[in-house]
Amino acid sequence: MKTNLRKNSKAIIILVIIAAFLFVAARGMSGRDVLITVLRGFSTGSVTFLVAAGFSLIFGLLDVLNLAQGTLYMIGAYVGWTVYVRPDTFIDVLTPVLLILAGFSLSALWGRLASRIQLAPKARKIISWLLILAGFGLLALVLTSYPIAIWNLNNYSESPITYSYMADQGLRIIPAEVTFEKISPFLAILGLLVSSAISAFGIALLNRDESKSQAINWRRYLAPAILLLIGVLAAVFNAQITGWMFAMSTNWLFVIAILIAILSGVGLGSLMETTLIRPLYNRPIYQLMLTLGLGTIGVQIVQAVWGRPEFVWPKPEFFTGTGGACPATNLADLLEYNCSTVFLLGGRVRVYDEIFIPIVGIIVLIVVWILLKRSRIGMIIRAGVQDRQMVEALGINVRRVFTLVFALGVGLATFGGALAAPSTGLTPVMGERLLLSALIALAIGGLTSFPGAALGSLLVGLIQQFMIKYGQIGIPLPFTDAVFKPSPPLVPASTVLLMVIVLLILPGGLLGSKE
Amino acid sequence: MKNNSSFLTKNRGILIFFAVMLLAPFLIGLFEGSTPLMIWGNQGSLSKFIEGLGIEIFILALFALSFDLLFGITGLLSFGHAMFFAVAAYLTGIALKTLTMPFWGVVLLVLLAAIVQALLFSLVLPRVKGITFTLVSLGLASVFHIIVMSSDMINLTGADVGLQGVPVPAFISPVIERLRFYVIALTLLVVTYLFYRRFVASPTGRVCVAIRENEDRAKMLGYNTTIFKIVAMIISSLTASTAGMLHALYQPIISPAVADLAFTVTALLIVLIGGVGTLSGAIVGAFAFRLLDFSLRRFIGESASFITGAIYVIFVLFVPYGIVGTMRMRQLRTKQGWQQLLGMLKSKN
Repeated sequence: MKTNLRKNSKAIIILVIIAAFLFVAARGMSGRDVLITVLRGFSTGSVTFLVAAGFSLIFGLLDVLNLAQGTLYMIGAYVGWTVYVRPDTFIDVLTPVLLILAGFSLSALWGRLASRIQLAPKARKIISWLLILAGFGLLALVLTSYPIAIWNLNNYSESPITYSYMADQGLRIIPAEVTFEKISPFLAILGLLVSSAISAFGIALLNRDESKSQAINWRRYLAPAILLLIGVLAAVFNAQITGWMFAMSTNWLFVIAILIAILSGVGLGSLMETTLIRPLYNRPIYQLMLTLGLGTIGVQIVQAVWGRPEFVWPKPEFFTGTGGACPATNLADLLEYNCSTVFLLGGRVRVYDEIFIPIVGIIVLIVVWILLKRSRIGMIIRAGVQDRQMVEALGINVRRVFTLVFALGVGLATFGGALAAPSTGLTPVMGERLLLSALIALAIGGLTSFPGAALGSLLVGLIQQFMIKYGQIGIPLPFTDAVFKPSPPLVPASTVLLMVIVLLILPGGLLGSKE
Repeated sequence: MKNNSSFLTKNRGILIFFAVMLLAPFLIGLFEGSTPLMIWGNQGSLSKFIEGLGIEIFILALFALSFDLLFGITGLLSFGHAMFFAVAAYLTGIALKTLTMPFWGVVLLVLLAAIVQALLFSLVLPRVKGITFTLVSLGLASVFHIIVMSSDMINLTGADVGLQGVPVPAFISPVIERLRFYVIALTLLVVTYLFYRRFVASPTGRVCVAIRENEDRAKMLGYNTTIFKIVAMIISSLTASTAGMLHALYQPIISPAVADLAFTVTALLIVLIGGVGTLSGAIVGAFAFRLLDFSLRRFIGESASFITGAIYVIFVLFVPYGIVGTMRMRQLRTKQGWQQLLGMLKSKN
């Protein structure tokens, strides 16, 4: 214990200073204000933590600083919003995505087939590129004539901002259904499947050597079969599912939206890792630049699909009740009337923003912590963070773990986005702001340390919220009558200053390992 | 005499570039139908437009060159490089507009500020390495960006609108004396480039390259690597500040976007297109980037930055050595091939 204290003496001193600062800061406020500010700090900290945790997992194991994390956070929010506000679009998009995935997920089979074909290297290259091009061409052809009920950015009454506004008012426009006109449903499904299979086969043919060793058993067919089944079912019962989702309570819709956001993050993450990051493992600086570029592209894509204006994600019913005994003073009232606010210490606290988000953050922290500490995969991840070569030498397929961790990290970021969006709203710049906070949190806590990410995020969240509070009430300067009111730009600046100070004293961060 | 000629042959490329760029406004003026004399007197809209584009490219190239010295030669990836540029630009603007200082005083002030900033960074340098340095530099620069954007100093910086109405001294005003401005910017770029090449070839520059390759080994050899990093930082900061000052004098508005991370990324992109650590890549990259950006914005419009991003990703994935780097490798291979061929012929004889 004593050596432990001495080893972390600097970190402890810094923490004590921060605690003292917060204590002094809290002195001028009433207890109610302190409580609300601390809760808000926890809320901001939780969202930051979700992004920063993915960051630190990815950086720890893969040595990739994923600067696209902020953009992915934003994409998570937008995907969740779409599922919540426009379930019909979601169901329509679901089928093609699942069918394409099914085609590509048979890659083991394609690799096996491709390894049987004996061709001259040059001919193989040409044929595989031709196949890829043909596959994508066919895919584009089918997709353009595939009916998807989607908004129209140019027409105001059909633009997403209108849907957002109407949903916020509690109204629900049930848009007209789109039917198969240009193409028969059977042909469309077959076309999607065949085209993705062709291009997947082309890719397998192109890098034949890698896929040679993969053994085939029936489990490999399970995933594509399930994807195919769900995809076809979604296409066949499209109208019924859409109607069912529109009639569903918003609580369940919200849960589905969050789940889809996480799944899309996992999918995007594994796609990014396998196709773009993997070729660059021996060029670390380039990975960083690649993720930076992807982040920019992602923002542009979001702006192209959803437009620039700010959206509102209405909170689900469970958090919006106002009638009865609201604002609730005890738990029973809260659960009975689904109050949007509760009374705590004489102050109103918003349930979703200031209680629900921190709870989810803590749950995620515990779940990921258990996953890391108690499961076999977590053991491999921790071992990989410490010494990757050794893990490889022990015969563990680190590549697959890499993909898994990357997918998990991105999934956490999109989860954070979907979770935060109902309280912060959606803008195309939301990712940028959060990326900076997450980076600062990581640098404060220690880049590869998971508890460090949690601690750093909490500090960043608390400091931000206290600075915002001071912007409203002002800090009485000691020995003078003057009151200093920090302007809004000083909120991020204060966290940056904290980061610089911490890094100057402890270059590895508060809980990071010493290099 | 011999020394002189070797200087000419060694720097043939940049000298040809200098001559071509000097003649370019006059030649383009001919297309328009205006005589060289008219262009000398700053008439002719097309050549004036080309001069303006050229000035923008030279400023970008100077900025990218300074970034290449840090990133490509010394191996320090700083995400706060735009701060050097932006501080110089804002300082020039404020000193000329609010403080009404004499022009040469402003130049001195800006250069002094550049050195001070480099020393500020070098306070951090010995402590943090690698990715942490990147983060700290990002932090420092974003503090500056936030300060510039804040409404507390709106009288000085113009907040998010930008600093407008900087009174530029008449003798280099980009409106009246654009040709002179063009020549000054070009000369500054060429002189800086020549100086950089000399610097990289010097013992100090060699140590900088060694730091990039393996810092621990450079330390083992007895070099105090921090000092060399600080030297590179100061030179880089001075160059970036020069570029920033030219930017402030040339543009009618100094927008806060020059203090943003995105502007550092622009420099990174330029260096990447041209070739990391090649120096001349910065100039080639600036040309490629600005012309591409210009034509995309003109013909495609809004989605131009999406395409720029896509090009960036493609370069990262498939052309890691950039235009200049790839060409050099090709040249080397061609040269080797020729030598092999010649050797075979000789051995047959």
